[in-house]
Amino acid sequence: MEGSSVPSQAIPVSEDYYCNRSSAPADAAGSSSPAVAKLRKLLFRQMLIGVNDGRYFLGLFHCIDKQGNIILQDAVEYRSARHSSPPTEQRCLGLILIPAACRSSCQVDCSIEEKMSLLCLE
Amino acid sequence: MEASSSSSAAAAPSLPPPHSLPTSSDQGVWADASPLLAAACRDLQDGELVHGENFSLFAAMSALEIMDPKMDSGIERSGYNSIEEAIEDGVAPVPLSLDRTVDVQRSIDVMDHLFSCEATWHKGHTLAQTVFTCIYLMRMERTSSHAVLNSFCRTLRATCNGVISVVSTARTHEEEDLFTMSFGLPLRDEQDDKCLSILNSVEETISRQLRACKAQALSKKKTLEDLESLQDKPDLEEDYCRALLCRLRFRKHFYHVVMSMRKPHGRGLELARKHVASCLNELSLMLKSREFLKSQSNIMLQDDENCTTASGCQPVGFDVSLNSRLLSPTPPRAVKVLSWSNAIRYFEKLLHDLDVICALSLDPVLENVLHFIVQFQKSVPDLVPRAFLQTLLVQDGKLYGQNLFSDVISRALSLPDIIGDKEFQMNEFVVQLGQLVINLLKILCTNTAWQRRKLGKSLQDWSTISIQLELALKREFGETRNVLHHENMCMRVSKQLLIWTQEHAYWVASRFLTLGFELDLYSPGEYCMVYWYMYVVFTKLIEKMQLRVLASNETSRRKGKKKKDHSKDSARDMTFSSSCLLLQCYVLLSEGLSMMLAVLRNESRSCQLPSIFNTEQERFMQHFDLLQKARVPEHISYYSFKESSSRAGITDLVKYNFFKEIQKITPSLRGSFASEPEKLVELRRIEQVAEHNRIALNIISQVGPGDPSLRISFEFTHHPHFAVAIVKRS
Repeated sequence: MEGSSVPSQAIPVSEDYYCNRSSAPADAAGSSSPAVAKLRKLLFRQMLIGVNDGRYFLGLFHCIDKQGNIILQDAVEYRSARHSSPPTEQRCLGLILIPAACRSSCQVDCSIEEKMSLLCLE
Repeated sequence: MEASSSSSAAAAPSLPPPHSLPTSSDQGVWADASPLLAAACRDLQDGELVHGENFSLFAAMSALEIMDPKMDSGIERSGYNSIEEAIEDGVAPVPLSLDRTVDVQRSIDVMDHLFSCEATWHKGHTLAQTVFTCIYLMRMERTSSHAVLNSFCRTLRATCNGVISVVSTARTHEEEDLFTMSFGLPLRDEQDDKCLSILNSVEETISRQLRACKAQALSKKKTLEDLESLQDKPDLEEDYCRALLCRLRFRKHFYHVVMSMRKPHGRGLELARKHVASCLNELSLMLKSREFLKSQSNIMLQDDENCTTASGCQPVGFDVSLNSRLLSPTPPRAVKVLSWSNAIRYFEKLLHDLDVICALSLDPVLENVLHFIVQFQKSVPDLVPRAFLQTLLVQDGKLYGQNLFSDVISRALSLPDIIGDKEFQMNEFVVQLGQLVINLLKILCTNTAWQRRKLGKSLQDWSTISIQLELALKREFGETRNVLHHENMCMRVSKQLLIWTQEHAYWVASRFLTLGFELDLYSPGEYCMVYWYMYVVFTKLIEKMQLRVLASNETSRRKGKKKKDHSKDSARDMTFSSSCLLLQCYVLLSEGLSMMLAVLRNESRSCQLPSIFNTEQERFMQHFDLLQKARVPEHISYYSFKESSSRAGITDLVKYNFFKEIQKITPSLRGSFASEPEKLVELRRIEQVAEHNRIALNIISQVGPGDPSLRISFEFTHHPHFAVAIVKRS
């Protein structure tokens, strides 16, 4: 099955990492809630994440842990700069980790039908 | 078309993305995934991850963590997103002030800060985070109306460009490859070629003004109408002219230094030397101007140690964080710009080092070149002078760009008649050896740590070639050893080449071992084995050296030299014997120290060092593995060391007093080194080490090495490679 889950792992974000380690071992079978299954389907999709300081990161959804820390692959950073042309400055960063704490928005690229189904989860 | 600003993005998490961002598919839309993420995270188990098949935790560890100040170079700091924004906000005004006096003051501050930045760059930081934090430099066209600043910046930029090209040609920047990275910065434009002419005309105007000031002071006239003043306060005019002039002139001369030293075949060295002297002169004038500039700045913002300008004011027109994103995706390094006084000190040292290089006589004798580099490295020169030296030594695969390395080798073999000989030049061994010599010269120009590692590795090449040479010699000429009379030229050359190669392998080994002391790689418990190995290597070095000279004497005798050559020969023999004797001193010092340490270990309990982590044999291998692998020298192993050190006893040591022996040799050397001050210094050091150790040895033998009250330590107070024993009784 694609998107298998591995227990006792977490994306090593500075402080969360160790909290996780000390927590109780996860069920080896992993979660199988509908939300998690849906999220799993979004793997390898383009994801656009905004962070607190106004930047956006566009990359392939690679990984997420319980704390909501996300890893994007082949990520590009976008920042708005009033005076430079084109108005958004961009640079390639590769593999990046966006801690949940600084994430302010998160969007995935999908068709309109999919968008409806994503919304209907709520 | 307005991209969302930081505040609104934080306030409204599900804000639509900015329109300027692409969507990946034609029909695609961005759907807000935040609620789904939140729901899924709630359902996830602790420690559970959602990921694809290609996920590896190890690779994930290397992900750049966004908003981590140590990893994310894009983190918002200054509040300016672009240089234009900063300029619009008035960070770098042109003119720097509407008040002309303040304008001059601020220009000088900018120059001083750039000067500190340049030194910081030379010390191994990126150009983007040092010199190019200057907005005036990033947008050169803006300053075209400000001739003083414009000419200064252009010349600085052209100089940086020259230095980059030297360093990247030499590739001596080792780990500090950051040095040459330009990150797409505006490093040059067409007008940079004319930078000197602009600088010269600005200099001319200011110096005319300075002369006018002086004349005015003499004649007590009120004003001089025909000249435009630099600023509005007549009583300060002269001092400001001086302060500006020395800074502009320093730039001009330093530019000339860099350009002349880059000329091929060392043609510009003489000219460069004159400019080095002028640079040093301007540096002292810059220091002098400091007092005046300080007195004029009302606000003291920085203390002397952190202050990057002469006046002590914070300069305008710099923004540290603007370029930090260019460095992506490397983690942002915090750069502390050198203080102005440290920058002056740096440039003084740099210029002195460059002066030493410029004084090089382009001597094609390899021994002298090697000696020069080793001597040069003793002053611990920084990256830039080492790069200049290397590009001078090796150009287009030739020594100084003019001597083929095959000729350099044949000269070293004392075989003048094969210089330029095509067959010799094309010989595969000679070609390989030429390459080895090029590598050796390049390695010797690198920093000490890098140098030692590379020397150790190159030993393998030296020994491989000498083994091949030996085999070829046997194959071609058989095992016959007593056919001296019928020896042909070819065989003589081969033999000499072999000896020469072996000699250089030992030279490399000896440098490898001694550099270990400079890098603090040996612990006192290991001195015994290190000195023992040095003793072995030095002994072999002398042996090969003597063999080589013997063989070359043979050759010259065979040819029946004319009388006038004899004086030349004897002079050469003199230098040979003195360098042999000097080596003999090293042999005696190493042997003496090694034996003394062995005796202490054998007979005194206090000097036996416990080895908790690894055995002595393991440490022997750690230190000498590269030499052992290269079989330098052959048939030497840990057991040979163990055997010789275990037999060492105090009575033998006192009977054959190595340190006393040295004192017998040195007086005769003193005479032959009379014209070489640095060798005399070395001799003096050797004598001091020998004398101190002789006395220490006497005390030890009187007290008895087994005396428990004896406290012996070793210090490098007199020589960087040879320790002095300090004896105390508790």
